[in-house]
Order: sequence, then C-alpha cells, then structure tokens
Amino acid sequence: MFLFVFGSGRMATTAENFSQFDISEEEKDKLIAEVIRYVLFRNHQNAGCPIKRDELTQLVTKNYRQRSLPAFVINEARSKLASIFGYEMRELQRSRPLSTNQGRSTQQNVADVKSYVIISQLPANVHTKYVENVNASHLNGFTFAVISIVHLAGGKIAEENLWHHLRRLGLFESNENHPALGSIKQALEALVQQRYLQKDKVSGPEGNTLIYELAERALDNTISKGVKEYISQVQFVTKKSIIWRSSVFYV
Amino acid sequence: MPLLGSRHHTLIQALLSRGPLKEDDFHNMFSEITGKSPGTHQQTFNDYLRKMNMELSYVQFEMRACRNQYDGNVYYGVVNNVSDEQSKLGTKYTVPQIAFYKGIIEAIVQDAAVQGCISDIDALNVRLENQVTETSSQSQASTSQVPPAFRNFSMSQKEKTLEALVQDKWLSRTPDGKVGLGVRSFLDLRSWFRSTDIPACDVCNEAGVKAELCQNENCTVRIHQYCLKRKFSHTRVEKVCPGCGTEWHYILPKAEALEEQNNANGPTQSDPPPEASKKKKLRTQKTADVDDVHPGSLQASLHSSETRRITRRSARLS
Repeated sequence: MFLFVFGSGRMATTAENFSQFDISEEEKDKLIAEVIRYVLFRNHQNAGCPIKRDELTQLVTKNYRQRSLPAFVINEARSKLASIFGYEMRELQRSRPLSTNQGRSTQQNVADVKSYVIISQLPANVHTKYVENVNASHLNGFTFAVISIVHLAGGKIAEENLWHHLRRLGLFESNENHPALGSIKQALEALVQQRYLQKDKVSGPEGNTLIYELAERALDNTISKGVKEYISQVQFVTKKSIIWRSSVFYV
Repeated sequence: MPLLGSRHHTLIQALLSRGPLKEDDFHNMFSEITGKSPGTHQQTFNDYLRKMNMELSYVQFEMRACRNQYDGNVYYGVVNNVSDEQSKLGTKYTVPQIAFYKGIIEAIVQDAAVQGCISDIDALNVRLENQVTETSSQSQASTSQVPPAFRNFSMSQKEKTLEALVQDKWLSRTPDGKVGLGVRSFLDLRSWFRSTDIPACDVCNEAGVKAELCQNENCTVRIHQYCLKRKFSHTRVEKVCPGCGTEWHYILPKAEALEEQNNANGPTQSDPPPEASKKKKLRTQKTADVDDVHPGSLQASLHSSETRRITRRSARLS
C-alpha cells in the first residue's frame, strides 16, 4: 500500500487522508484538542509570544510515529480554532536572517523557524467594542508607540536613539515603577520576546552598539499596514492645518 | 459546515479576553450583537449557549454561569473542565503562589461563621507547607519534603500575591476589607466544592460558602441570603427552617416589611412539627424550581470535572 505524504502546506481534512494514519477517530480528536488547548494556554501564559511549530509537533510525536500526522493535526487544530473560537493561528516567518551575532549560533536555516500567534478574526470595531480588555490597553499603546518609532527610523534603530525618543514620551530606562508599565526596561524586553523587535549587536568603530530591528510580528501585514496608516494620518493632519493657515492668510 | 458564526465568536472571545462578566453586561452584549434580548427571547439565548457549549466541549471548555455569593449577582465565564498538562501551563502564577491561593480558599470555606471570608492577617498567615502534595501524609514527610520555594515565600511576596489574586478576581475583598472568594473561583471550583465537605444551600444546592445558618445550633441547614429572599418573599410562607422547623430570623427588605405589618400575624412563635424526614427528599427536588442560573440550559459536563484535582487553576485566556 502506498502512502502519499503531502507537504505541510496542504490541508489534509478529508476522510481519505485521515485514514492513512491508522489511529482512531477519538485519538485524532484527542490530539487536535490537545494542540488547541496547548496553543490557548501557552498564549495566555506567554502574554502573546509566538509559539514555535516545533512545540506543537512534539505534542504529536511524543506518542505517535506517523510522519505526516503532526502536520495533519496542526492543520486541523488551526481549522478548529477558527471555527470554534474565531481565532486565526497566523504563521510568522523569520523572513530576515539574524545578523551575525557572537552569542548565538543556530544550525537551522533561519527561514525554517515557523511560529504562530493567535489573532482574532472579528472585525476591528466589534473587537474593540466587545472583546478588548481595557486593562491591557496600556501595553498595546506602548507596543504601538515603540513600533512606530522604529518604523520611522527606517526599520532599525540604535538603542541610544530609541531611548532618546522614549524619554520624550516620558518613558525612562531607569524607571522601575511606572504606574501602568512597571519597569520600562522589562516592557521593552517583552516586545523582543513577543517578536515585535529583535536585538542585534553590531560592532562599529566605537565598539559594540545594540540595534533594535522590527521583527516578524511587527512586519506582519496587518500590523505594518496599521502603523503606516496611523503615521500618515498624523502627517495629513499636520499638512492640512498648514494649508488652512496659509489660505486664511491670503484671504 | 461551521456551527458557530461571528456572533458566537464575539461572545466567546469577550469572555476569554475580559474574564467573567456580570449577567447584565453579558445580556446587553447579547442583545446588541444578536438584536434579541435574552429577557424576551429566552429560547434564542439558550440555543446560543447550547451551541457554543457543544463546540467548546471539543476542547473541554464550558461556558457557564454562577452566582457571586457575596452580592448575589450572576456572572458568566468560560471555564476549563479538565486539569491536564496543557492547562498547567495556563497560569501566570508560580507554584508557591498557587499553594498560597489553595491555602486561602481552604481557610475561607472553613470559616465557622459561614461568611466566606477571612481577615487579612489570617490570609497572610496561611502556611504553604500544608499544601505539599496530598500523598505525603506520613509524619516522616516533614520539612525535608517541603520545597525551598515554599519555605522562602516571604510575607511581602504573600502580600503581593494576595493583591494580584484580588486583581485577577480569584479572590475578592469584602466591604469590611476581609478576603473572600473571587468570581473566578466560584466559576471554576464548583466541582471542588462538591468534592469537599462544604454543606450545600438547602434551597439551590450550590455550596454554601457565604450563607445564613439556622438559628438552631443542632441543625446544619444553611441558606444563601439571596435564596432566603426568594424563599421567604411571599408573606404567607412561614419563615421557618426547612430542616428542623425552628423560626428563621429573616429580616425583610423595608417595602415587604411594611406589607407584613399590615397583614395579620407573622409566623407563629411555637415550633411546628419537625420535618427532618422530608429533608432529604426536598433537597434532591430543589434543583428544579430554583435559580434559573442552574445549568439546565447549559451543557454542564460535570462528570468530568468531578475528579479534577486542584493543582493548577484554569487559565484566564486572552
């Protein structure tokens, strides 16, 4: 009997594809549920840090040897997350290789590191009105401000420079007791862990500098689109007020 | 064909993201989203709940309602029904913090006055060592078995944890500043209440954590304040204990009290014959007429939650 093994991109949802795995319906459902639960609980525990595909694969390979079973289970889990909860399990790709970094040595081809974040599929206005947790909005605000700064700096910015701009917003590196954010340093570090930013050491003539770059989560389409729109709105308002002022002048 | 649409998803995501919601808020949201008010379209509301729970059961989650026993308000939330490896991840609290929480809730439900609260001092003095695994009950399992993290859990860490637990609604602060159970605990620990020896309310059969006791010292009947209100709201009903028949000192709210005075005599002073033999029968029949909150409309998968140990709490999912 030939087993057709498909690439991980294919949604193996039909019964024929499932039958190749030689596991019961219950076992299949149990595995899928485990993956979904893992994703949801881990997402909560990590405060939204991406979940590596490897972690999910392991849940399956822990007990089952069939080669394309992990891919099948993960795809089914994605589909159920959408149908039950309305969450999209969006895949992030590390599209840019990590700059040479003395500390880190990675054997893997960087483009292979797949990770997932959970995103609501609800329309933005519905999400804001009913779902958004207002107690967490300070974090979103901070994230957005930092990403905007780095974006305006061209996608990467030196540490010194970043803090310079954050200070203008009243956020100081030495502040451990910000009323909303606690330790600003830690809040920034969290953005690195959530893959909005990545840190790189660059050696220059004056020694090593730390550079913050936009990472895969910030480069994701919806977010980068939102940031650009926001920034352009600010410019538009400014332009408008200048035009208005000059027209008044001529009247 | 997907059973749930974006309206269902909105409701589910709202509860996951914002935590338990008051019934009023949840109903308002439902009305706005579906255009139908649960008050006038009870069947629609129940259908929605049923459908959502059917789907959520795939991952052992459940949308359920419960009463906050301190103010009688009903809250809706999504809870996890099975304690497994995945759910153990789903907490931001450390092991000693969870042991601290467990110690506090045990102390709260054992409150002799059945007010469901303990003082700050008592909360901070809860000993984590008592929470070391259930299996180690031998006397030899002394300090050597207690993890250093438990022993080193300082007072200031306890204070911080206490505040975090209140903030996250696992615990609450009563009006007089004591520590009580939070809404999440009521939602989550239903099966734990049943498995421990907490006496249930005679009227609604839910655990009587904060309830009134029968005046008779020998009688073990306890009834929630809000259940008493329902039970004794008709002036013609005799305000006596359903277990032993002793008069129940029930203070009516003002409006009803006035009506009471205008009527003929209140409850008789003499003891009616005891109804002890009827007590057990009444208890099992009670679930039918009370609390429309009681999940007749929700698919309560209690059988799986019966055996759940409390090693980790369910997650507040975002």
